Amino acid sequence: MIIAERKPLTRILQMIAPFERVAIIGCRGCVAICSAGGDREVETVAAALRLARKRKGRPLQTIEETFVRQCDPEYLTPLETLKEKVEAVVSLACGVGVNLAADLYPDLKIYPGVDTSFYGSNPSLGQWEEKCRGCGDCIIDFTGGLCPIARCAKNLLNGPCGGSQGGKCEIRPDVPCVWHLIYERLKKRGELEKLTQIWPAKNWIPAGHGGPRQRVRPDLQFNNKK
Amino acid sequence: MSGWKIAILCCHYTNEASAEDMADIPARVEIKRFSCSGRIEVSDILKALEADAEAVLVAGCEKGSCHNHSGSLRAEKRVEAARKILEEIGMEPERIQMAFIPRLDTGAFVMAAKETFERLLDILPKGEITS
Ligand code: SF4
Ligand code: SF4
Repeated sequence: MIIAERKPLTRILQMIAPFERVAIIGCRGCVAICSAGGDREVETVAAALRLARKRKGRPLQTIEETFVRQCDPEYLTPLETLKEKVEAVVSLACGVGVNLAADLYPDLKIYPGVDTSFYGSNPSLGQWEEKCRGCGDCIIDFTGGLCPIARCAKNLLNGPCGGSQGGKCEIRPDVPCVWHLIYERLKKRGELEKLTQIWPAKNWIPAGHGGPRQRVRPDLQFNNKK
Repeated sequence: MSGWKIAILCCHYTNEASAEDMADIPARVEIKRFSCSGRIEVSDILKALEADAEAVLVAGCEKGSCHNHSGSLRAEKRVEAARKILEEIGMEPERIQMAFIPRLDTGAFVMAAKETFERLLDILPKGEITS
């Protein structure tokens, strides 16, 4: 899922400084699952902003809503009426949601309430780890399912580097060297020969080096009401 | 009377003390009970401050004796999170206090409320209402 983190409240307070009526809108997708922008966080952020503003003698009114998703136009339609009731919107969705809302409602002042951080997993409560960088040309069939782009500090495709010591990466003792893990994993799977094969050169164009990326499935493009 | 308000957020099981038991504390004490202290959200704490409480005491069962096993430990985590938020917005984190109270011990409960008031004395000049 996409992992995000709430922005510092002082930063959000700066964004909404000119306004008295603001909607805080969450998203029940990834940001709810990673506890950055679901119903609970909407309530907390709204309460914190109101408290801060009240103490500054500039009370803030908030409307709190959480949409099913913010990355699909149909779920953003409540913004049509919401924008008449408030002067600005703080979205706790990932950057995708904020961008789409800004595309669709050009007269709406929408601001990001979270920093969109990475694609990650949730190995235990309250903890998220980066696993993939969305490079668009997945090569983890060669690496035992472990991504050297997201999980190696140097994004090496031919690790481990000289900094790999006792299975740990040189950047921090608590970070496993993913190339060490790749070796161990492939050995366990009986696939060590993958490391001696010559891989085709990785295509970095789908990693974003060719401008904003798009995906099209023509077979779905029928009677498209979006 | 200081003119201050102190909000106490606690669970139904901790004790049956009422605001009258707090008569010695020179502040208005408001008690809000939850089904479990583990149900007290960060937003509940912030909303109590927003509703003009100068300090909030979150009271849960003594560690290891929580009716719902770990509710008060959860509450402690929420208190930590709420304190961080206060720091971010320039308020004193000590305005939020956590107490683990032996079940049905009104004395300990009142004592925790008194201590919360005393912490406020360290923060605010006597008699000043900042909200
Ligand atoms: S190789 Fe690319 S697509 Fe595959 S896991 Fe790594 S970053 Fe993600
Ligand atoms: S020690 Fe391993 S994970 Fe760290 S930079 Fe080197 S190869 Fe990458």
